[in-house]
Amino acid sequence: MTRVLGGAFACLVGLFLVAPVAVTVASSLTATAYVTFPPQGITLRWYAEVFAKPEFLSSFVLSAGVAVAAAGVSAVVGLACGLAIHRYRFPGRGALEAVLSSAFAVPTIVLGIGLLQWFAQMGLASSPFTLLLAHLVLTVPYAVRLVLAGLAGLDRSAEKAAAGLGASPFLVFWHVTLPAVRGALIGSAFFAFITSFDDLTVALFVVTTDLQTLPVRIFNYMQYDYDPTVTAIGTLMVLFAVVAAVVIERFVGVARLFGADQDHK
Amino acid sequence: MSVAEAPPETAVRRGRLRLDGVRKALGGREVVSAVDLETEPGEFLTLLGPSGCGKTTTLNMIAGHLSADGGVIEVDGRDITAVPPHRRSMGMVFQSYALFPHMTIADNVAFGLRMRKVPAARRRKQVAEVLEMVGLDGMAGRHPRQLSGGQQQRAALARALVIQPDLLLLDEPFSNLDAQLRVRLREEVVALQRRIGTTTILVTHDQEEALAVSDRIAVMADGVIHQLDRPREIYLRPATDFVAQFIGEVNALDGTAAGPAREGHACEVAGATVAAMPPGEPPATGAAVRVYVRPEVVRLAADGEGLRGTVRETRFLGSRIRCVVATKAGKVTVALPFDARVPEVGEEVTCAWRPSDASLAAR
Repeated sequence: MTRVLGGAFACLVGLFLVAPVAVTVASSLTATAYVTFPPQGITLRWYAEVFAKPEFLSSFVLSAGVAVAAAGVSAVVGLACGLAIHRYRFPGRGALEAVLSSAFAVPTIVLGIGLLQWFAQMGLASSPFTLLLAHLVLTVPYAVRLVLAGLAGLDRSAEKAAAGLGASPFLVFWHVTLPAVRGALIGSAFFAFITSFDDLTVALFVVTTDLQTLPVRIFNYMQYDYDPTVTAIGTLMVLFAVVAAVVIERFVGVARLFGADQDHK
Repeated sequence: MSVAEAPPETAVRRGRLRLDGVRKALGGREVVSAVDLETEPGEFLTLLGPSGCGKTTTLNMIAGHLSADGGVIEVDGRDITAVPPHRRSMGMVFQSYALFPHMTIADNVAFGLRMRKVPAARRRKQVAEVLEMVGLDGMAGRHPRQLSGGQQQRAALARALVIQPDLLLLDEPFSNLDAQLRVRLREEVVALQRRIGTTTILVTHDQEEALAVSDRIAVMADGVIHQLDRPREIYLRPATDFVAQFIGEVNALDGTAAGPAREGHACEVAGATVAAMPPGEPPATGAAVRVYVRPEVVRLAADGEGLRGTVRETRFLGSRIRCVVATKAGKVTVALPFDARVPEVGEEVTCAWRPSDASLAAR
């Protein structure tokens, strides 16, 4: 009985999570000129509309580019920061760790306003670069956390053992330290990509009319034209995310298979 | 030549470690102060002491993971004090096994050979040989987490030995294993070490382990070596109060030195004359000394020369019979063989021992 109830509950939760996506996907196929669910008629016209609007494509390229950069930079900075905090005692170490862990607590809208002020003060004009900086504020703390968790599972003796066996400091890092944080790096890159690609709140404050990320573009578009083009883009974004998730999952899955197992220590 | 087939005569030639006045301060505290040490090639030497005595710090300086603040470390006459760890040839085995979790056992063992750019074919052959030597043939393709603690430590040992190191450094390698396995593995390690003849330095806080495996033991406390000698000498003839108290049980009897005896050095203890063998220079006549006697070496007699006392307590412990004898110098604990005559409580007895089985140190 509890099993049946549990299963039903799980289905309900799943349905609740998937329903909005399903509605978006379904209504992108509607033949009407307005968004409606269930869709009336079936057409791919709105997808054609998306590709007919070059500003969507350029926004996608901008979003994807910034997201990839955020992923890469987060992983590298996260690794460097994590190693420094894990290994060395330096002045301000406690403060750095505190700031990095409390960064989650700051509402993104507050962050957006702050960054707007800050960039203006520094005379930084809006550019993909400022956008990247803004997103790094969101993603680096997460990356550092993940790397620290990975390093906590690494036995320092393994590094000593490698050195004793003739590995130079770089080779010790390459063969022993890096594999221990591999999963953490992939995870933080993935998180950074998704965060950056999805972000609307912070981007709203940083972008200009010429420089709009995809979420901002959709947001602005919807204020004037609420037609199924929006749901078509939404569907494409979901598709993109699913593909990315599958690819990353395979990588992380493989990484797990190869060890770096913190849970068996 | 493979590790397994290396005849001891040739292998024994190298691996002479010498420490001269090695010092190290950590966090403003001197952890190791002026340690002098010299091993014979092929020797199994143990650094024994309580935690914080500086034994692990010393080992880390030998391996190069810590730099010495002063002094010289030499291997076979070559000064390696400033050589980084990856250019020393030392195989190290850790308490935590420290295998590389993302590599198979074969890859773990092959790591040192890869770093030495040994060709793949020879690498495979050597890895197979050394795995067979430690009894892990058939485990080559497994990952460390799929092995038991004892197997992981064998793999770590194979990884350290396959590079034919100048020195084998063992940092509490048996401490994570359960009691039975600990004894079995340590016996295997000793047998292996005897066969391949690699000079070995073991760090442990387990005195029984140290006594069981070592050619010589360096007992350390507060950053200095209190005594460096063979296990029998360390046990029967402790040079300092610390060594006497740290290892096993001891009867410490206060008295005054009374000059050379027929054997050893005579000593007045509570009106009786006893003799013991000082490990170093004998103390000046009249000096305040302490005599150290292990319970196992004391014999009880009805009369004769020795320390008179009254039996207070007897207890059968299986392998031994434990008696407590109240003497004028204090209580003396005696461990009699299981088949000895058990004295009655209240019986008057004389405690005696061979002078060469007891020690004497200034107090």
